[in-house]
Amino acid sequence: MRYRIGLGIAATALLATAAWAAGMVVVDQKGLAFSTASLTVAKGTMVSFQNSDSTSHNILVTGGGVTLNSGLQAPGVAFRAPFLKSGTYQVICGIHPKMKMTVVVR
Amino acid sequence: MNLVASDERVRPARLSMRDIGRLAVLACTAVAAIAGIGAVPAQTTGDTSVPADPLLAAFRRPASIPAPADNPTTADKVALGKLLFFDPRLSGSGAMSCASCHNPSLGWQDGLATGIGAHGEVLARHTPTILDIAWAEPLFWDGRADTLEEQAKGPLTAPAEMAMPADRLVATVAGIPAYRAALGRIFPGQGVTIETITRAIAAYERTIVSGEAPFDRWVAGDAAALSDSARRGFALFNGKGHCASCHSGWRLTDDGFHDIGLPGDDIGRAKVMPGLTILDHAFKTPTLRNVAERAPYMHDGSIATLEQVIDLYDHGFVRRPSLSDQIGPLGLSAAEKADLIAFLHALTSKDAPVDYPELPR
Repeated sequence: MRYRIGLGIAATALLATAAWAAGMVVVDQKGLAFSTASLTVAKGTMVSFQNSDSTSHNILVTGGGVTLNSGLQAPGVAFRAPFLKSGTYQVICGIHPKMKMTVVVR
Repeated sequence: MNLVASDERVRPARLSMRDIGRLAVLACTAVAAIAGIGAVPAQTTGDTSVPADPLLAAFRRPASIPAPADNPTTADKVALGKLLFFDPRLSGSGAMSCASCHNPSLGWQDGLATGIGAHGEVLARHTPTILDIAWAEPLFWDGRADTLEEQAKGPLTAPAEMAMPADRLVATVAGIPAYRAALGRIFPGQGVTIETITRAIAAYERTIVSGEAPFDRWVAGDAAALSDSARRGFALFNGKGHCASCHSGWRLTDDGFHDIGLPGDDIGRAKVMPGLTILDHAFKTPTLRNVAERAPYMHDGSIATLEQVIDLYDHGFVRRPSLSDQIGPLGLSAAEKADLIAFLHALTSKDAPVDYPELPR
C-alpha cells in the first residue's frame, strides 16, 4: 500500500477556506492497479488520484447517490476529488474496471 | 458531493513488479484437486520462479487459479459444472449447449465470425474464447457482467442465444435426478436454482486454462524456446508496435476497453458506461493465448487472419475522437510484421483434447 498525505504550506493556504481543508490523500495508479484497495478518510478530505502509468485512466466514483466521472485521465495527470459527506464510495477506472478501490468517509 | 478537479504533473514512477504481484493477489484459492476431474490436464498453470528481467516477469504465469470467496472451486462442483456445460437440455431448443459456441475443439469458440443462436439467429458479436476465463472479469465484449457467475446466466436465458427461460431451466435441471442430487449436495439448503446452476458452470469454466506455450518456457529461462523471429516479435510487441500497452500480463490482456479503430456502428462499452468519449466503440481487450488457432478476430469477427489484424493496427484503423491514444501509424516493415506473427504463434500451447462427458438421464 502506498499513499501519501500532503499538507504543504501552499496547499493549506489554497484550501484554508474550503471544506477539504481536512487534508489531502494521494492514491497512485501504477501497473493497472490503485496503490491501495481501501482508504478511510475524514469528512472533507481531498483525494488526489495520480496516474503514474503510461496509459490513460479514468476515475469513476459512485456512492451516496452520486457519481463523479473524471473523463479521460492522461498519463502523468492527477485528478482530485473532495469527499465531503460520510459514506462508502466505490472507485473504479472506467477503462480498466479491474482497477477498483473503496473510500470510506467518516 | 462536489467535484473539484485539477491537473498536475506527477513524477515518473519507478519500475515495479506490480503486475506479477497483482496476479499473486488474484490467486486466492489454489485448486489442487482439479487435476483429477479430467477437464483439462494442465491445471498447474506454470513455472513459479520469478524471472530476473522485470519485463519478462510481467508475463509470468500465475501459480494457481483464482475463485471468488462466495463460490470456491471444489472437485464436486467442477464435475457437475462440466456436465451442465455440455448438456443441450439447458437450451430452449434442447439442441444447444454452452459448448456449442464455446467448443473446446475450436479454441473454446465457434470458428464463426459471429455466433448463432438456438433458433438460428445470427448474433451481433463474435463468440469470445473462455480460455483462462478465471482471470477475465468483467465479462462480455462490453464488460456488462462483473462476475463469471453473472455472465453464465446471460447466454442461457437470452432469447437470441440459448433461449431458455429461467423457470424452465430450473424445472428441467430439477427433473434430472442426478443433477438434483448433486446440486443439493454441493449447495446445501439451496438446491436447484438459476444461481446454483450458474455457480457450478462458472466453477467448471474456471478450470479451462491454457497450457504452457513456447513463450512461457522462454519467460521461464529456456532461451531456445523461441525462434529469433519470435524474439524480435516480442521486442516489437513491447516497443514499436505498442501492442503490450493493452495486451499486457501473462494472458496478454489488460481486461480493459479500447477503441482500436475498427469500422462499425457498435458502440460497445459506451452503452454500458455512457459519458466517456473514449469508451465509444471500445471493446474488451481479448487474450492472445492460442490466438493463432482462434480465427476469425475482433468483436465482430470481421478479420480473418493475424496478418490482416496487424495491418489494421499498422495503418488500417478509423480515426475518430474515441480512438485509443495507443493507436497510430506504425510503419511496420514486412519483416517486422512477420516477426510479430512469429511471436503470436509462440503463444500457442498444445492442450490435450477435452473428453466429452456422459450426461445423466
